[in-house]
Amino acid sequence: MKRFLKLAVKPEWHEIEEARIEASKYLQSLGLMTDSVHALTMVISELIENGIKYGSFTVPEDTVEVDIHQNENIITVEVINPLDPTDDTAHNHLIKLDKTVQWIRGYQDPFEAYVEKLKEVSRRPLNDEESGLGLVRIAYEGKAILDFFVAEGGSLNVSAVSNFQGDTYGEN
Amino acid sequence: MGKIELFEDNLLQIEVIENKNSITMVWTGKSTNRKPSEFISPILADTIKKSNATKKRIMLDFRKLDYMNSSTITPIIKILERAKRGAIQITLLYNRSLKWQDLSFSALEIFQTKDSKVEIKGVDNHVS
Repeated sequence: MKRFLKLAVKPEWHEIEEARIEASKYLQSLGLMTDSVHALTMVISELIENGIKYGSFTVPEDTVEVDIHQNENIITVEVINPLDPTDDTAHNHLIKLDKTVQWIRGYQDPFEAYVEKLKEVSRRPLNDEESGLGLVRIAYEGKAILDFFVAEGGSLNVSAVSNFQGDTYGEN
Repeated sequence: MGKIELFEDNLLQIEVIENKNSITMVWTGKSTNRKPSEFISPILADTIKKSNATKKRIMLDFRKLDYMNSSTITPIIKILERAKRGAIQITLLYNRSLKWQDLSFSALEIFQTKDSKVEIKGVDNHVS
């Protein structure tokens, strides 16, 4: 059985749906339950969305790289995008990413963090399009522990580790 | 007289059905746009306007929705928050049998009000 899947996603929005379909097929092939496949596909989509939004794509070969690994009950999703730390948008994203990951870790139950974020976002002006729900949704619905690092070559690697022990591998 | 309008953008369809006592928005497909608010918010705003004028309850029916990204949740919760403080009545329906819908929408119970102005209802719709 294939224990990992690698995808190179072009930084174009419509590519996300194709990546979702590929990732979903792979996760199903691992024997995961439908609900878990859905949760992980959401995790992958949200991370690719962020990769496309905040990545620095300077040459046509630049892509968002998606690695999905399985190790027994643990599924690790890594999404890597090129980064230009001198770019203000990318720099601000890194600061926000760090703050959000630390903030989520401050809650024992990610549901509480999710509810707090829902309350905060709901009070913002109607024309404020920023969601800010993606990462906390990954922690809550995807049951994932988030982490990230900036590699020496200048790429951002965001990982989400989900443990599906006891509630997967079988029929729904 | 009932009236049905269909709005479509990319993988998402929203059907707005106006009946005697309610205006129902049926969401079908996937909401995956980069800025889903651009499509969703004008339809929501128009529905709220109609609801204000006719005092009809708005039904947001998500049971046929297959997926939504987190940016889709934003306009929905902003409307629920404003409904709590305003005059419109909203019922949000979701499929409790689908775990993703149960997780996503049951969390929105924080916007529910005791006077049923805002209701969040999970329904058991088994998908074969």
